[in-house]
Amino acid sequence: MTRNLLAVLILIEMAAPVFGHHSEAAEYDSTKPVKVTGTIKKVEWQNPHIWFYIDVKDENGNVTTWGFSGAPPGALLRRGITKDALKIGAVVNVEGSRARDGSNNASGRSVTFEDGRNVFTASGEGGR
Amino acid sequence: MADGKPDFSGIYTAPSTVNPTGPRGNLIFNPDKMAPVKPGAEGLLYEPRNGDPRHDEPRAMCLPSGFPSGMLYILPIQIVQNPKYIVIIPELQRAARIIPTDGRPHRTGLEPSYYGDSVGKWEDDTLVIDTVNFKRWILDDYHYTDPTKTRWHSDALHTIEHLKREGNKLLYRITIDDPKIFTQPFSQDFQLTLRPDWDQLGLLEYVCEENNRCAGGNCRASDAQ
Repeated sequence: MTRNLLAVLILIEMAAPVFGHHSEAAEYDSTKPVKVTGTIKKVEWQNPHIWFYIDVKDENGNVTTWGFSGAPPGALLRRGITKDALKIGAVVNVEGSRARDGSNNASGRSVTFEDGRNVFTASGEGGR
Repeated sequence: MADGKPDFSGIYTAPSTVNPTGPRGNLIFNPDKMAPVKPGAEGLLYEPRNGDPRHDEPRAMCLPSGFPSGMLYILPIQIVQNPKYIVIIPELQRAARIIPTDGRPHRTGLEPSYYGDSVGKWEDDTLVIDTVNFKRWILDDYHYTDPTKTRWHSDALHTIEHLKREGNKLLYRITIDDPKIFTQPFSQDFQLTLRPDWDQLGLLEYVCEENNRCAGGNCRASDAQ
């Protein structure tokens, strides 16, 4: 497993309820899956969960920005994963569960890179 | 330590119960090992979710975890020790428990609190921490395992913790004595593992309010969107 692949795996671990400071069900609706492809626009490496934003272009060229939450930054850093793991401009496909308020926000569940690498939710314990 | 007491200083992994059961079972109290609930007290132990996130998952709103909930979480814990105090600092919310070990009694006249009032004493190489004066609050992260209800302790909660080092393991037993809910006290054993390799990095900041964007399922706007 490459370091980059590992990084993304861990970034997304928060989608498992074991990782959050809340249960995913409190904020996201697992019956409303989200799957988008776009470019990384912005990364917020902050507590209690990191957020990254993906610009998604539809067939008419209109751009919508989706926000995806990830793992706590401290848990990532303790594993040697830094903000550099998510490069601005990288093309990714992200799957997750949509926020309960119906906004364009979701919990990240898996990320697929442009080169086909696909990572699904892991079930690790944060901070270890 | 210079005072002849065992040295508990260091950064540890999160506690993990010795016999976990079910999802996240390593960090919650095992119902099979709990004491019987007093007749009529079931409603004090379990409360149905009511849709208010401040009730259903207070930590999701950046409210305090309290004790023991804040101790039983997935982030590391640092212990700082001197002859007069032992300080237990979970990275979660960085809520330090500053526990005197110089033989003083519990403080009196204080309002009940999320973390209670703790005093410690040494029994040979075991540190015993006695905590009282809690306000009613979430007992543990049971709500991660049940979408219908949450688990609470009463304001009569009294906890006794036993901490003992064995090699790089910290043996951690917590006794729950909550006479408004249970017929008798019960205990559960956990282990923490010392991680000297985490010393240099240390505990990290955890300011929940920094970017709790979707608290309670209502996401606030981001300038990226």
